[in-house]
Amino acid sequence: MLALIWARGLLLRRWPRLAAAAVGVAAAVALLGSLGSFVSSSKATMTRRAIADVAVDWQVDARPGTDPVGFLDDVARHPGVRAALPVGFATTTGFAATTATGASGASVGASAGSDSTTQTTGPGQLLGLPDGYRSTFPDELRDLAGASSGTLIFQQTAANLHVGPGDTIEVTLPGGASARLTVDGVVDLPQADSLFQDVGAAPGGQPSAPPDNVVLLPAARWHQLVDTVAVAVPGSVKTQVHARVDHSLPADPAAAFSVESGRARNLEVALAGAGAVGDNLGAQLDRARDDALYAQVLFVFLGLPGAVLAGLLTAQVASVGRDRRRREQAVLRTRGASTRTLLALAGVEAALVSVAGAAFGLGAAAIIGRLSFGTAGFGATTGSAVGWGAVAAVTGAVIATATTLVPAWHDARSTTVAAGRTSPLRPRSPRWQRYGLDLILLAGAATVFWLTSRSGYKLVLAPEGVPQISVSYWAFAGPALLWSGAGLAAWRLSELVLGRGRRLLTVLVRPLAGPLASTVAATLSRQRRTLARALVLTALTGSFAASTAVFNATYRQQAEIDARLTNGGDVTVTEAPGVTPPADTAARLGDLHGVRTVEPVQHRFAYVGTDLQDIYGVRPGTIAARTSLQDGYFQGGTADQLMQRLSSTRDGVLVSAETVKDFQLLPGDQLTLRLQNARTKQLVPVMFHYLGIVKEFPTAPKDSFLVANDTYVAESTGDSATGLFLLDTSGVAPPTVARAARQVVGTSATVTDVTSSRKIVGSSLTAVDLAGLTRVELGFALALAAAATGLVLALGLAERRRSFAIISALGAGRRQLASFVWAEAATTALGGLAAGAVTGWALSEMLVKVLTGVFVPAPSHLAVPWVYLGTVVATAAVAIAAAATLAARGARRPAIRTLRDL
Amino acid sequence: MAAPAPTAPAPTGPAPTAPLVEAVGLARTYGSGRSSVVAVHGATFSLAEGQRVGLTGPSGSGKSTLLHLIAGLEIPTGGTITWPCLAGAPLRPGPVAVVFQAPSLLDPLDVVENVALPLILAGVGTSEAREAALAALDRLDLDRLADRLPGELSGGQAQRVAVARALAGRPRLLLADEPTGQLDHVSGTTVVDALLEVAGRTGCGLVISTHDPAVAERLPEGWVMVDGRLDGSTGREPGQARSCSP
Repeated sequence: MLALIWARGLLLRRWPRLAAAAVGVAAAVALLGSLGSFVSSSKATMTRRAIADVAVDWQVDARPGTDPVGFLDDVARHPGVRAALPVGFATTTGFAATTATGASGASVGASAGSDSTTQTTGPGQLLGLPDGYRSTFPDELRDLAGASSGTLIFQQTAANLHVGPGDTIEVTLPGGASARLTVDGVVDLPQADSLFQDVGAAPGGQPSAPPDNVVLLPAARWHQLVDTVAVAVPGSVKTQVHARVDHSLPADPAAAFSVESGRARNLEVALAGAGAVGDNLGAQLDRARDDALYAQVLFVFLGLPGAVLAGLLTAQVASVGRDRRRREQAVLRTRGASTRTLLALAGVEAALVSVAGAAFGLGAAAIIGRLSFGTAGFGATTGSAVGWGAVAAVTGAVIATATTLVPAWHDARSTTVAAGRTSPLRPRSPRWQRYGLDLILLAGAATVFWLTSRSGYKLVLAPEGVPQISVSYWAFAGPALLWSGAGLAAWRLSELVLGRGRRLLTVLVRPLAGPLASTVAATLSRQRRTLARALVLTALTGSFAASTAVFNATYRQQAEIDARLTNGGDVTVTEAPGVTPPADTAARLGDLHGVRTVEPVQHRFAYVGTDLQDIYGVRPGTIAARTSLQDGYFQGGTADQLMQRLSSTRDGVLVSAETVKDFQLLPGDQLTLRLQNARTKQLVPVMFHYLGIVKEFPTAPKDSFLVANDTYVAESTGDSATGLFLLDTSGVAPPTVARAARQVVGTSATVTDVTSSRKIVGSSLTAVDLAGLTRVELGFALALAAAATGLVLALGLAERRRSFAIISALGAGRRQLASFVWAEAATTALGGLAAGAVTGWALSEMLVKVLTGVFVPAPSHLAVPWVYLGTVVATAAVAIAAAATLAARGARRPAIRTLRDL
Repeated sequence: MAAPAPTAPAPTGPAPTAPLVEAVGLARTYGSGRSSVVAVHGATFSLAEGQRVGLTGPSGSGKSTLLHLIAGLEIPTGGTITWPCLAGAPLRPGPVAVVFQAPSLLDPLDVVENVALPLILAGVGTSEAREAALAALDRLDLDRLADRLPGELSGGQAQRVAVARALAGRPRLLLADEPTGQLDHVSGTTVVDALLEVAGRTGCGLVISTHDPAVAERLPEGWVMVDGRLDGSTGREPGQARSCSP
């Protein structure tokens, strides 16, 4: 009964306090719930992305001697299989082509006749593709030049043999048989790694790289060539069934992997040893589920400070009313209330706050999830949705309990009735200050940062460039320790300045308080604990907003750079192998509407020892500016510095770190490469001087490559042909410019644009669109900034209405009263924002550094979203001004009425 | 409710030298309509420098409201009140000082800062105000408490500090609203002693509202409030005194 009366009283007379605390709890619950929505939608994105990345879901290898027709039938009829086609694989002993001099390219082995040269390759693969393969598995092959059917040659093989559409090649099969084939088209094999996988081999037993020499034939022609060989040399020919399976999988990558790999295992069992399944879809989902786990940790980590802040905000709101609660408790105790009764009544308040906060928070999270991520659920599965919702609600209850019930319990146990009627103004330093917890946390942050940075975790690249993320979870401890340590340090510092620096404070508040400065300073000084709490809350909110905004902006910046790095320019024109574009191509592209600059780049191949690497001939004077080269692409200098070095050293070359290590190079060392002479087709040694390390370059592969002066490359090879044109589109939509460029270069070149590249670069994690999360996090940060400044100040000032009424009763004028209010507001705002700016900057630096793994490439500088940060400061300023104005107006109320009401 | 005719209390005792406050038909009503409460009703009186009045009456009779009206803390809803000898400057901080019933010291300021505050609000320099505050504390034998915070004082000490604060500005009219209401007998006696001693020494007007007969008896004049009416009171008829002391 007493509890009901108390609850009624609270709802009727203390509702502002309850509402403010419930808003804090709701903010924490809503943020956690929104994170759940985001994680659930991003997991679904990862699953979709993983599925979309797979060209052939299953490659089912038939064991030798298996009836191909029956085997195909078994696979095709297996539940979940939507399409199945047989693909023949035959090993060749080599390919050869004789071409007239004048064609471009590089060769593995070449012999020169009077007017022609013959190029040969080592062993390769001859594939037989059935009718309908291209339409069933459209992503397995990509047309580069010529026809899309008939005899197709892999682009690297075409480059090795210096052939293009219409040329003739000779294939030699095991046993000595050979055949002449006319090339109909040149293709790329984007999924070569999985296409040539050794099905059934242990993960570490896969070949390190797919074959360089591949020719693809229609199935009928392939059978004509290899059927006899299959009998003569059985191990040289095999049949695989490529299958497309049902893609209606659970949204969660882990659940999708479980379902999908189960189906693949089921097929293997059904085949009873007749075949093994190369589960490309399962492998992709397996990677995605690892990424999803990491994403969950990462995004929760990024969002968690917001929930903690909401908790601190609630605690601050609750602490503002603590004096009054103490007095109420003292009254109850004098009337005989036991500790149990007091706790029960505090529990009523906590319960009201919990229930209201959880209800509003979950409702807000559902709305935010629906608007930002397209889902009102908090998880990818029912279990995780309920789990996220429950965790969010329980967190709200914990916050309400910790901020209401625990202080009440503490007061009931340790405070006397008399003490409860007054508020302590000479409190002892808290234990954490006496033990230096803030300094310990900061030292811990520095140590963890040093240790994790030293270990140099970053993107780990698979041999053929499949990016996988490997980041130490331990690294998360650094920013967490820094944030909490900086908050406590700001508290210590503000108490120190407010407590010991009263003279300084007097000087600082004089512009606001005039003759009252020393009195106002004394007031601020004695209320330093309350002010410090508000100041720290402002600082933590500011740092959360700043670090989140900077991290997200840097993430966006790097995603943009990644897309540009992959694509080369806003629009990139890549000539097909063997094609020499007209000399005026650059000029014609430059005349297109929307094209600001055209940067031509030579693309050749060069041997570094026995290793064949891409070499790019560039114009160092212009490429840095026209392609936004980042400092992070290079080592040992900035982009400008290295381009200047290249410009001043005609035979200079930038090489990969791996090459530097392999050849023990020092700057200035001579490096001999072998490049193909355009006229003779012979590989000729060319002297270069090593200038520095290049890690990334527009359009370059993820592994080793070289960058040199285009004039020197042209002179050394007798070929000035340009293979790449990087277009800067000055704000015009790249796809529009790309369409126009295609009209100029025709079908001989591939035209790509950065907008499309954004959709295909990166891992499944970096493919996650952070825009929704960014909006939610930054929105919460903004709301928390307003609450941490305006609401806390308003509540603090409201709690001191009695003091203002007394001052008013003593005869203070409006301006004098306002000076107390504004001095407090200015102290909290300026101190908090300054501490927040410093902490936010340090936290941003650390976050970006320790989370380098999610940036591709690593950022050379932070992206600072000044507009957003300005908005945060403006919001805080407006909230503070509003709170102070309201308080100052409230202080003008007749003093006696206020004193009577209180 | 129609206001009754203003009362004109008959003068008794030695005539004060100058009128500080004159009220005619003074009224204060809270709220409106049926729920309105008449706190003071048709009070007519004058107060002069040197006059010492005990204002008694049961709880809720309007004593505090009348004091607040005299102090200028409340705006009357009927009648008039003037401060003939205090015109030209704000009443507070300045010639009128109030000692409240409830604790009225500011928690974040120590004793001397609390006492100095009205002086600083009145434009007195910080150092000068501090010296005056220390002097006021010294007069009440409270100088040893100068550095204490209100939370570190007993109820009696806090109220005596409030008296010191009221006196620090050398008021010409001192109003004490049940200053002993929340104190034990000994503490209450000390506070009243302090008020009387200071009033006697400075010659300021003094009104103490109380429902403690022992306190009222210590004052030469007695005004009684009953249901908002000033009844059987002593004082000077408005308009009788014409010269203000400097």
